[in-house]
Amino acid sequence: MAIIRKRYGATDGWINMPDGSKHYIFGFNDITGIPESGIFEFRGKASLPAPLLEVYEGDEVYITLTNLGFPTRPDLDDTHTIHWHGFPNQIPLWDGVPEVSISVPVGRDFDYYYKPLGPGTYMYHCHFEPVEHIQMGMVGPVIVRPGIEKDPDYQGRRFAYNNTITEFDREVILFLTELDLRPHDMVANAQEFDWTEYSPQYWLINGRSYPDTIKPGEDEGLPFQPLSSVVKAYQGEKVLLRIVNLGFQDHSLQILGIPLKVIGQDAREMRGYNSEDLSQWRNTVYIAPGQTMDVIFTAPAAGKYILYNRSHDKNTVNGTSFGGMVTEIDIL
Amino acid sequence: MATVNLWAKDGYMSTPDGNSIYFWGFTGDANRPAQLPGPRIVITQGQEVTVNLTNTLAKPVSIVFPGQRGVLAGGQPVQPQYDAERLVSFADYAPPNGGTVTYTFTAEHPGTYIYESGTYPYRQVPMGLYGGLVVRPADFDADTNKTAYGAGTDTGFDREYLLITGEIDPKLHRAVEQGKACSAGGYRPRYWTVNGRCAPDTMMKDSVPYLPRQPYGSMIMAERGERVLIRYIGAGVQTHPLHPHGNHTRVIAVDGRLLRNGEHDRSYNRFTVLVEPGRTYDQIFRWDGLGYSEQNPIPTILPNLRNMGIGDAGWTLWSGSPYLGQKGDIPVGVVSHNELGEYYFMLHSHAEPQITNWGEFPGGMMSMIAVYPSLSPVVGTLP
Repeated sequence: MAIIRKRYGATDGWINMPDGSKHYIFGFNDITGIPESGIFEFRGKASLPAPLLEVYEGDEVYITLTNLGFPTRPDLDDTHTIHWHGFPNQIPLWDGVPEVSISVPVGRDFDYYYKPLGPGTYMYHCHFEPVEHIQMGMVGPVIVRPGIEKDPDYQGRRFAYNNTITEFDREVILFLTELDLRPHDMVANAQEFDWTEYSPQYWLINGRSYPDTIKPGEDEGLPFQPLSSVVKAYQGEKVLLRIVNLGFQDHSLQILGIPLKVIGQDAREMRGYNSEDLSQWRNTVYIAPGQTMDVIFTAPAAGKYILYNRSHDKNTVNGTSFGGMVTEIDIL
Repeated sequence: MATVNLWAKDGYMSTPDGNSIYFWGFTGDANRPAQLPGPRIVITQGQEVTVNLTNTLAKPVSIVFPGQRGVLAGGQPVQPQYDAERLVSFADYAPPNGGTVTYTFTAEHPGTYIYESGTYPYRQVPMGLYGGLVVRPADFDADTNKTAYGAGTDTGFDREYLLITGEIDPKLHRAVEQGKACSAGGYRPRYWTVNGRCAPDTMMKDSVPYLPRQPYGSMIMAERGERVLIRYIGAGVQTHPLHPHGNHTRVIAVDGRLLRNGEHDRSYNRFTVLVEPGRTYDQIFRWDGLGYSEQNPIPTILPNLRNMGIGDAGWTLWSGSPYLGQKGDIPVGVVSHNELGEYYFMLHSHAEPQITNWGEFPGGMMSMIAVYPSLSPVVGTLP
């Protein structure tokens, strides 16, 4: 089992929407291995979503969180934390809830430790004033890979869980959030938003609104939104969608022409108390805030297939169509 | 044969931001004020139950029992009620200003259920006319057979808690208080409640004197390794994704029906359970921990606590130590409410605007799960 050491910075930044608008965010970035004299360069460069944390079950994971402060809001000295959402049997010290342990002030470090024992799809986020810090963008995905992949009998093959029926050829993260431009604008200008008025104009997959979702990861117009949502596969391949909802609304996803098999939810294989098979075929995957789902489909005949939010009002960019929670599946 | 006497009354409830909100609620005593939610009703499977409702409000009020079959009112099957051919009530009601009605039914299945007004429910249920109904399995014995669904169902538990979610739009409550018309459209809650309270009041004990109308706390307390039965009831009109920190829950029943088809177990583990309107969930939560103690220390070093954020909310529930049952130093000036070195895990709606009080965090639909090094057996029992 490997020892993994990461260092994440907490800071602010700006992201772009396809209508040309820019929005102020809080977020994390990866400063692992950066010399102490160099971390200052990472202030104001948060990404949405936050860096993917990808580990194997049984790994020992050390994450140092460094609060780099907010260059755009130097008056705002909020502390930050990392909450690994769904980590079983956590102790409060590493659970990242400021009201029940420790949070990290500007200029300070704190070490979190995790030894994940359950494979699956999780998420992490800051838990300081979570309604603000989550909406502002301090959210990221976590993948815990199963030990079975290290078994010599299965070398080179990939699985979602420790069960051969969860094998896949390709995987894509679909990290769902929404963005209400009013609190982002008000926070940038040192104003207070009434969160009961929350009503987003932008619906995002991996921090981007369609058509940005289908651009490649590296795109000069999206320097701090590095995660593409385009799904490419050959006919007959098994594709794993790791769906995370860290917005504040329920979402309802469909892929026209492709039935979906839900094989995991909340980082647990769909199995009963006595290992009963509880996996389910769906045309619509309905996912609430704070849930994750692992969905496998078999790539059908070559062509383009559209993945979209069946709540059609979320296929828009600030009121105009098409945009929002839409991406494309390219079967070759 | 169980008899439950309920009165429908009005009163004022408190929110932690200092608001005082007019509400309607049930109470179990003619001389006591309305409460939010109504009294917990705990009965046994197969038992015949009589519910006598006396209505002191100026509008008709009824009680419906979703999930129960064969409910009678005055000895006859309950029927929808019409006024000039317009539906006003799903069930026979108690007329206003002192009217009464008597319902009887036999609880067929064990489980968790809601009881609520069926009269102009779009108005009366958000006003607070709802409560929880727990049906024990026929073979239940608190000492020898403490299960949610009976022997052989893998639903044994050590402690149990009932959490009823709701929402409050003060505009509706003010209109009702002033006898004004209020459209059901444009419903926009500003408060989200667990057992009729908003955080941080949710974490206070049952029957604290400064919350006279909101007698039920939502602090879940248990020892390490105990099986904690957590019952959710969705009494509002919104969905609420409830997320406990610390561990997954095993969902054993939905809507009072065990998740099992013969030998085929259908229970499942979740870290977030979406509580839909009118739905109930029964779950087993258990926290075993990772085995850390002073003899098996954590692999990270605690920083100098003066350099860290502790008690930014004005208080902390932290003990100052990483270890269960230990207390450490807390920086001077920080108030710690930690008692015995217990661990706290937040339990909250992940639709995060719902953990505010009219937009202000912390608040709303949030409480804690406390894991104690040792705890009296009377904690976490329902009457």
